[in-house]
Amino acid sequence: MSNFLQVLIDGILSGLLYALVAAGLSMIWGVMDVINFAHGEFLMVAMYICYWMGFMLGLDPIFTWIASGIFLFILGGLTYKWVIKRSLGKAAMAPLLATFGLSMLLKNFCMNRFSPNFRLLSGTLLDGRTFEIGGAIVSVPQLVTGLFSLAIIGALYYLIKKTRLGWAIQATAMDKEAAELMGIDTEKIYLLVFGLGGACVGIAGGLMTTYLAVHPEVGSLFSLIAFVVVALGGFGSIPGALFAAILIGLVESFTGFYVAAVLKYVAVFAIYLLVILVRPKGLFGW
Amino acid sequence: MKLNKRTMIVVMLVLCTALLASSSAFAVEEIKIGALFPLTGPAAVSGQNCVNSVLAAAEVINTKNPGIKAPLAANAGLLGGKYVIKIVPADHQGKPDVAKSEAERLYNQEKVFAIIGCYNSAATKPASAVAERAKKIFMCGCSSSAALTERGYKYFFRHAPTDAIESVEFVDYIDYLNKNKKAGIKTLGLIYENTEFGKHAADEARKAAKKINLTVVADVPFNNGATNLNSEVQKLKSANPDAVFGAALGGDYSLWVRTMKQVNWLPKIALNYCTGYQNPAVQKELGADGNFFMGGMGYSPELAKKFMPEAIKIQDKYYTPKSNQPFDSDSIQEAVMLMVLAQAIEKAGAVDTEKVLKVLQTMDFPSVMSLSGSVKFGPDGQNVKALSVITQLENQSYNTVFPLKYKDKEPIVPMVPWNKRK
Repeated sequence: MSNFLQVLIDGILSGLLYALVAAGLSMIWGVMDVINFAHGEFLMVAMYICYWMGFMLGLDPIFTWIASGIFLFILGGLTYKWVIKRSLGKAAMAPLLATFGLSMLLKNFCMNRFSPNFRLLSGTLLDGRTFEIGGAIVSVPQLVTGLFSLAIIGALYYLIKKTRLGWAIQATAMDKEAAELMGIDTEKIYLLVFGLGGACVGIAGGLMTTYLAVHPEVGSLFSLIAFVVVALGGFGSIPGALFAAILIGLVESFTGFYVAAVLKYVAVFAIYLLVILVRPKGLFGW
Repeated sequence: MKLNKRTMIVVMLVLCTALLASSSAFAVEEIKIGALFPLTGPAAVSGQNCVNSVLAAAEVINTKNPGIKAPLAANAGLLGGKYVIKIVPADHQGKPDVAKSEAERLYNQEKVFAIIGCYNSAATKPASAVAERAKKIFMCGCSSSAALTERGYKYFFRHAPTDAIESVEFVDYIDYLNKNKKAGIKTLGLIYENTEFGKHAADEARKAAKKINLTVVADVPFNNGATNLNSEVQKLKSANPDAVFGAALGGDYSLWVRTMKQVNWLPKIALNYCTGYQNPAVQKELGADGNFFMGGMGYSPELAKKFMPEAIKIQDKYYTPKSNQPFDSDSIQEAVMLMVLAQAIEKAGAVDTEKVLKVLQTMDFPSVMSLSGSVKFGPDGQNVKALSVITQLENQSYNTVFPLKYKDKEPIVPMVPWNKRK
């Protein structure tokens, strides 16, 4: 029983982290129809920010996620202004290729500047803290990340569903021209959405520094999983991203333990393929 | 200004002498050697250490180092100073297909005389196949998959002890602990990356375990570069083996150790095949969490002080300024392969593949950077003098615990549990 509970808890906590990483990507994809290929590298940048703030200034990532969130909000906004805006309305692949270029730039900059070394923040406030429930061990850093993830996704959902700004975002996502006729400044909405997407991954990256090593390649697999989560949950759907992320976390965890660890990503991508074949717009897609 | 005839002659002579001097300087030719390693990707830290190590060896060969008592160190260059070594680094990213295409590029476009590499066994396999087809020399420092020297290749030479040799050493050590320290180690768990290196290491571990009736109760392959290793460690924990043999690269190794701490579980002993365990940069990041783990090693600064003093000189003069750390067991073996290749060129008397090959196949090479002190290749290209010791990490120091000839500290068995560590 404790094995089952442990695997269940691991799966849910991994899923919550994936949800936070994917939430920003989902918003950008859903609202602007742009695939941000640099999403994984945004995550890496956020982790480096928190790592260096911890290493140089002794600040704990449990606080510095605010700084990485703000920095990535600004980076997201700048990416929209300098990269996406210039490529929108040109060839269909232009924004995708532009963000791919940005991802290469960020990855190679960090590789060159910080070397490929793995860097871990030791002795942080949550480092190694665990507690037991019914024989299963819960990692406090992962639990805190999961709770933050729920809170931030909840706030994002509230913003989109219950505020005028959120309605404007939804209107822009549904019909940009009609939204402009209604007096919505879609340029600002795009800028804000890219900024919010960056902030989500910035917060996720910051919190991950409490228990994961940072290196220039850290974003690669997370971004791949984030793409799967978004496509599975439905483009632009925040609850969809949350549900799909937890599903993926559980599939990964249960397959890894009860079938074979080496097959856990095979199972994740097989389920993704199945859902896409049966329901191409994703589980919660419009 | 008007110069008289005598002054003109002197000026002309000086100019001619200068010209001759410079042309003789230009007459030094380069022997290009490819250094094919993972400079990006999950094993990039180790790959960059390997390149720096090869560059350090090239400097020993290319410049006069009268203070270092190593072959080729006293003179500058090879064959009477006619040649210097030029290293051409290349990145295979830890990917076998990239390793193959980069090996082709190095031989065909860069025209390298030989390649040193590739750290990952999975990358070494296709890259050395390219060398064999092209009839070019391939020098492999630390890739440990036993399969690499079981292919009957003629141009492939490897310095490192294979996983087969290490596996036997691991079980001999466990047998010693059971008999002399009453360790009570009866069951074994395997955790390894699902690659050429990891799978062969696990195969050899299973074979070796039979020698002392060690029962394999957990067999956990994993995808390298994973976002988490929760289910993998959970599988080990639920089987609860007395000993674990691990084969994981830098980032995966640190994630594995941290996940074991997270689930509050440790076996009595954990023995690792090279890679992450041996990397000082990874251990520095793990800090106290890395303590009491063990692994096979061919080099550690502590071991070198006693048995390889000249290696320390090379390390301090050429390697540490580049890498900001001492040699590690993997990277130093790549330097050895360049030193051996250079000695073979010197003995052959020409930069000729077939002549150098003959020397490599037949001669015994002194090596100040090898624990055994020399290198000799068998008919399969495997270094028959390959030697490694088992070390245990404690406070960032690799204490040698086995074989008894090299032992400098008593092993701490079982490992200190997470909740009892300071």
